[in-house]
Amino acid sequence: MISQELNDQITRVGPGSEAGRVLRHYWQPALLREELAHGDKVPVNLLGERLALIRDASGIYVLATRKASADEKPTHYPNARDIVIDPDGPAYPVTERNGVIFAYMGPGDPPEFPNFDCFRAPESHVFAFKGLWQCNWLQALEIGIDPAHASFLHRFLEDEDPKESYGKQFRDSAADTNIPMTKILRDYPRPDISVDETEYGLKITALRRMENDLIHVRVTNQIFPEAICIPMSREMIITQWHVPIDDENCYWFTMFTSFRDPVNKDLMREQRLKEHALPDYAPLKNKANNYHYDPDEQARLTYTGMGLDINVHDQWAVEGMGPIQDRTQEHLGRSDVAIIRYRRMLRQAIAAVADGRFEDLPMQRGESVAQISGPLSNDSIADTSDWQMASHAADMARRSACPWDARV
Amino acid sequence: MEGRSVKDPTAAWTVIARVSDLDAKRPLLPITLASGRYVLFRDEEGELGLIGRHCPHRGADLCFGRLEDNGLRCPFHGWHFDRTGQCVEQPAEPEGSKMYTQIKVPMIPVKIVDGNILANIPEGELSQ
Ligand code: FES
Ligand SMILES: [Fe+2]
Repeated sequence: MISQELNDQITRVGPGSEAGRVLRHYWQPALLREELAHGDKVPVNLLGERLALIRDASGIYVLATRKASADEKPTHYPNARDIVIDPDGPAYPVTERNGVIFAYMGPGDPPEFPNFDCFRAPESHVFAFKGLWQCNWLQALEIGIDPAHASFLHRFLEDEDPKESYGKQFRDSAADTNIPMTKILRDYPRPDISVDETEYGLKITALRRMENDLIHVRVTNQIFPEAICIPMSREMIITQWHVPIDDENCYWFTMFTSFRDPVNKDLMREQRLKEHALPDYAPLKNKANNYHYDPDEQARLTYTGMGLDINVHDQWAVEGMGPIQDRTQEHLGRSDVAIIRYRRMLRQAIAAVADGRFEDLPMQRGESVAQISGPLSNDSIADTSDWQMASHAADMARRSACPWDARV
Repeated sequence: MEGRSVKDPTAAWTVIARVSDLDAKRPLLPITLASGRYVLFRDEEGELGLIGRHCPHRGADLCFGRLEDNGLRCPFHGWHFDRTGQCVEQPAEPEGSKMYTQIKVPMIPVKIVDGNILANIPEGELSQ
């Protein structure tokens, strides 16, 4: 449990807010490149500000302030011709990386981009998409650094054929076995979780001790301030930001990165467009229709009764907490160790910004940010005796066979 | 899930639902009182529980919980509650952990009279 005051401090992100000032020191995913088709002005609702992507007098894209009425909905997406730019409002620099347009809304010069896989992989090997969650960004991030929930929330009471799994999370077989990931998650629900602070954020290791002296090792990452990097399948990893629209809504922006074949973007986009409505990328299963909850399915097939798409499970979990989770009522357990560590990092960053110690912020400490690579995210199964080496070796094998330069 | 709202309780024992409202394969209803949101369910012994709607772990909505093992289980991390709101299991916590004994969701006593389910709403929550 934390105080209301502290909950406000770590969740609220409008201009001038404490956590909002931290987020503004980092590049923020603002829109997908595919949104440029909207017209010469593209609405963007970000960190409580009402903005639009336009070209300035010299033809360079900038994120300018647009005039907005107070009763606009948070994801308001007006036609290009109805957008009026406010020349007195701030305008922010933008840059594109592999299908995502990032904006820098903070003071001074924008930071360098780290050399993460999603940024350095060629365009052919990265697919980007986004989706709306109607809740505060922090609870959306916290589910991503909580390795225990996958054993419950995403439990399938039956396993499907991993060959049908392309482009979906947790449906591949684990490591180099023919055991479906869904079975491992179900059979071993008490992972040992350890957390290491890194230059980019946190490395989170979840160990599931199996039969025959084998151990399942899942390495995931928190990338400061509001992203995660996790394995999706043996071929792909996910780098996902939880970007505030305002205090009570956020977008997940995901860059799916392949270490082997070019990404089948048409298929991945089609899978996701079936679940989302444009132009605001709002999920078709949502609070208003109870996420298509089916008690029979819950009894028989899935833990939630909300279908096989694990994104919907996560969305239900975080939206169901309310617009901003009331952390004065929570009881964190041992399985929440990464969440506890993350909040500590965020509070340290809030203090650093308040004191003007910007060089104390993660990835802004004067080290060469472009040298920060990876991070390593993978699932492996190893002998209990040498799981650390085996986990590392599994990632290195994937990287050395990769058609683009994925060396770390 | 929309909770049925009981906005103006005028007596300590207030009707919140009819027994027949729970005649479903999954006997569970969201109930909203002036003081907050609750979930009403019937366990495998046929007894009723009216407990806080948000899981005391990280706040998930127990109206979508799994009715099983004679209680209500949160789908997020499997914490399991009996009809008194007592947590009886935390399946992701380390083996041997006793943390669950310290966790209880707010509970409001209920009784059945003439086919109605009445809740004993605490003094402070009665409106005038
Ligand atoms: S939020 Fe209910 S068990 Fe975690
Ligand atoms: Fe999840």
